[in-house]
Amino acid sequence: MATSTLPSTVQSSRERRRRFVTRPLGWVTIGFVIFATLFPFYWMLRTALSNNRAMFSEPLSLLPVEPTLGPFQRVLGLQSTADALAEGGSVGAINFTQYLVNSVIVCTIITVAQVMLSAMAAYAFALLEWRGRDVVFGIFLVALLVPGMFTLLPNFLLVRELGLLNTYLGIALPSMFFSPFVVFFLRQFFLGVNRSFIEAATIDGAGQWRIFSRIVLPIVMPQIITIGILQFIFYWNDYLWPLLVGQTEESTLLTVGLGVFRSQTPQGSPDWAGLMAGSLVAAVPIFILVLVFGRRIVGSIQSSGVK
Amino acid sequence: MATTPLTTVPQATRPARTKRRSGRGQLGTAMLFLAPALLGFLVFFAWPAVRGLYLSFTDYNLLSEPTWVGLENYAAIVDDPVFWNSMGVTLQYVLINIVIQTLVALLLAVLLHRFTRSMLIRGVVMLPYLIANVVVALVWYWLADYNLGLINSGLDAIGLDRVGFFGDEQYAMTTIALVNVWRHLGYTTLLIFAGLQSIPQDVYEAAAVDGAGEWRVFRSITLPLLRPVLAFVLVVTVVGSFQIFDTIAVTTQGGPVDSTNAITYYIYDRAFTRFDFGYASALSVILMFILAVIALVQMRAFRAGQSDLER
Amino acid sequence: MKKSIITPALIALVAGSLAACSSDADETPAPGGDGASDGDAATISYGLWDSNQLPAYEQCAADFAEANPGYQVDIEQIGWDDYWTKVTTGFVSGENYDVFTSHVAYYPEFQKNGQVLPLDGYIEADGLDLSIYQEGLVELWQDPEGIQYGLPKDFDTIALFYNAQAVEAAGLTAEDMSSLTWNPDDGGTYEDVIARLTIDTNGVRGDEEGFDPTSVETYGLWMEGAGGADGQTQWSFLTATLGWTQTDEAWGTSYNFDDPAFAETIDWWYSLVDKGYMPTFAAQEGISWADQLIAGKAAMVPNGSWMTGYVFGSESDTFTPAVAATPVGPNGQNASMLNGLADNIAASTDNPDAAWAWVKYLGSAECQNVVGEAGVVFPAIVEATDRAVAAFEGNGVDVTAFTQHVDNGTTVLFPITDFKSDVNAIMGPVMESIMSGSGGTDTLPAANDSVNALFE
Repeated sequence: MATSTLPSTVQSSRERRRRFVTRPLGWVTIGFVIFATLFPFYWMLRTALSNNRAMFSEPLSLLPVEPTLGPFQRVLGLQSTADALAEGGSVGAINFTQYLVNSVIVCTIITVAQVMLSAMAAYAFALLEWRGRDVVFGIFLVALLVPGMFTLLPNFLLVRELGLLNTYLGIALPSMFFSPFVVFFLRQFFLGVNRSFIEAATIDGAGQWRIFSRIVLPIVMPQIITIGILQFIFYWNDYLWPLLVGQTEESTLLTVGLGVFRSQTPQGSPDWAGLMAGSLVAAVPIFILVLVFGRRIVGSIQSSGVK
Repeated sequence: MATTPLTTVPQATRPARTKRRSGRGQLGTAMLFLAPALLGFLVFFAWPAVRGLYLSFTDYNLLSEPTWVGLENYAAIVDDPVFWNSMGVTLQYVLINIVIQTLVALLLAVLLHRFTRSMLIRGVVMLPYLIANVVVALVWYWLADYNLGLINSGLDAIGLDRVGFFGDEQYAMTTIALVNVWRHLGYTTLLIFAGLQSIPQDVYEAAAVDGAGEWRVFRSITLPLLRPVLAFVLVVTVVGSFQIFDTIAVTTQGGPVDSTNAITYYIYDRAFTRFDFGYASALSVILMFILAVIALVQMRAFRAGQSDLER
Repeated sequence: MKKSIITPALIALVAGSLAACSSDADETPAPGGDGASDGDAATISYGLWDSNQLPAYEQCAADFAEANPGYQVDIEQIGWDDYWTKVTTGFVSGENYDVFTSHVAYYPEFQKNGQVLPLDGYIEADGLDLSIYQEGLVELWQDPEGIQYGLPKDFDTIALFYNAQAVEAAGLTAEDMSSLTWNPDDGGTYEDVIARLTIDTNGVRGDEEGFDPTSVETYGLWMEGAGGADGQTQWSFLTATLGWTQTDEAWGTSYNFDDPAFAETIDWWYSLVDKGYMPTFAAQEGISWADQLIAGKAAMVPNGSWMTGYVFGSESDTFTPAVAATPVGPNGQNASMLNGLADNIAASTDNPDAAWAWVKYLGSAECQNVVGEAGVVFPAIVEATDRAVAAFEGNGVDVTAFTQHVDNGTTVLFPITDFKSDVNAIMGPVMESIMSGSGGTDTLPAANDSVNALFE
């Protein structure tokens, strides 16, 4: 990086001019992205507050068509069948609180277990020295490439053999142990950890576990939280696997439960209002999660990988 | 937040190497750390993959026992015009999706990192990822509808021609790619953002002292230091892109005229609709190899194993 | 970070997993798992996809349990999109519903692989009379050797849904709509009416001077996909009036897509796009036909009786639902494709006798009358169909447009052959290519050869 040879006053005014352009440009971009991101949500909200039956008599209306809270009641299982039919909504049964609890428990189990065990694996791949390390890591990465279709049926058969169908553990099992994605991600950050910390700890006689849990993990905590949140969201929205494995009321996850709003018959239409309402409601818990844990990501900015 | 109970060792007296560097040195410990993940890998990934490989050499219709047919499936794939079309449209999708998504995510991550500390804006950017893929696809299916969608009404109002976003052979795949960019932008941005945070502030401070402008900083500091994370993000998003399925299943189902018949959709179609699991397995094996090659090339190109920040 | 959270996290994890394990220890068993009687009632698991029919079948289940104290039915309803994934995975894992609603598009593959039970033994033993069902339905559920695999439960036909307000505004009457004629040369009064109902963005009708085919506000006829290999709701009712069917018989081994009669019909159908009466293929992809009809983008759409509830339930200020019979063709009659559903017994069931008892009940007048009275579908038993017609009428819907085909014998059966899904995979893109204008009907003979090659 060559230092400029211009006198500092000229330099800073050029800098100011540049900033004059880049700052607004930056804000315009952010603004545009925010609009493009939020508008479909507005559309979802508008649809969720509309009467499904009247929906397409005004398909382009920016305001809810015949505004009603019916769809939200439908989602929460509070609307009677007669009312649902009158509004043109789906009459499938939804046990909302049960499904919500199921989802929270299963996703928490998966995320906590997976991130923890993957972090341990990532540590072994990044900061421990052993023969064949990189080869084994390469093989592990192949797991990233295995198509979902390969694993769906064998995993289903295995879970069934273990008698874990319709249980939380059954749904969580294939994902609980590790995720190639998380291992890969964390390894990248472990690699960037300042070695002097580790060396100092080793000199002090700390064992690997101590180094891992007391030193390295705290440094990488923002990234761990980030990946934890992302994985939680992924499993929250997962559909096909929980559909197959969780069929009883006690094991149905929220997104699977909301499937009653999708098209019920061939060439039929989904219950648009119910589906939109359901999706918005299902997104609330994870949105809260993002906000709550997001602070920890922000708060750690100053101190990551530092002095 | 970082409280290290250890004192830093003064420079002068630090011995050159204190880590045990014998080749097998930490194998035992490593195995302990790896054990659970290894178990999961073997049971839930390796075994199904091997089984899938075996099935690719069989004729298996899911409802009765598989029969061995050797390389027949693979030979049939080479002659299958739908397969080649599928690879073509998948590549089209991946290119559009990844290029746009990565560039915009990078831009956005940097903007968020440098311009604003607002948690709200970051939360907003993440929002699309919170909605299930299927629902996102349906919402855009409506918004982009030729007759009843807002986008086309808008185009009409300005005086432009309406566009068959999902219905026109030429545009369908691009539309699907853009829908997925919309959904995954926040996700990719967050990943890159995580990488941005691991760059220590003092590097930026040094640059500021030297009087470097925003673009210079970006090009000479941010990008190089982001390299490992970018490599990771690219590998993961490319691999993920190749597996596009939900959006297609909900909107175009491979049409119009197979223009959105991406490889994973074709595999699923063959396996579960046409009960040709052996063929589908062979397709999956080929896909795996392609992805492996791509991932390897990317890792090498980006030298993802090293970090410029090591000191 | 003062304290390590690792250890507590691991403990929580292990505890959580143990809790998860034990809390579901006394789960209700997965469907089909435990059909054997454990003291009291044997549970039969049953799957269906249409939530609109769920209340009627739950009533049937309750009545069945009352009449048969040793049995109990557990109904599960999953929407169409996921239903077949569930059923197929169930076959693979060996654990499926005991009885499930089946469809002719899928059942041949199940039957060929021994995944569903034949019913002849049971039918004979119980002396069932199969003549109580509408004609043609029983044959749909037999294999090539004539062995019965399902008892017909309901049927559907095709008719023309239209917006009565649009028709009135065009100066037409319901009588005009019910007596349409068609031929592949000039389209008959069918095309006349379609032209009349089409309105461009300047308010000019399709049969008036100055009509702009490139800028249409309301289409006289909606294109709902290209029809694939079946064309159930798209063109099968037209080709049938030319004496054409996909195959010459049930379980045939060759298809007739290379027949000029078929090409003629498709050419005529596509010509409507150029004339501006029907949307282009690109323009029709998206929101479903029923919603386009409701929104006023289309004035008329042929479709199946299973959509009656949806269409007639969406009345609004601008949309008055109505239905008319398909047009009369060159053979002097109109036609409709007939499809019938039935319930299959999965071979993996633990208790075939219990499953049969339920299937028998489902195929009996007691249950089908209940279903008929719900006014959602047409049950297969003739007597129950009458009840359904009455129920629809009670809701203000005249369904003679649908039922006349079974009364007059103007139906053609939904085509059943081996390799159905492969046939669909070949014909689907070919038909789409034709209807989007990138290919012509001259590509049909080659496609037909590919299809027939499957049977060699």
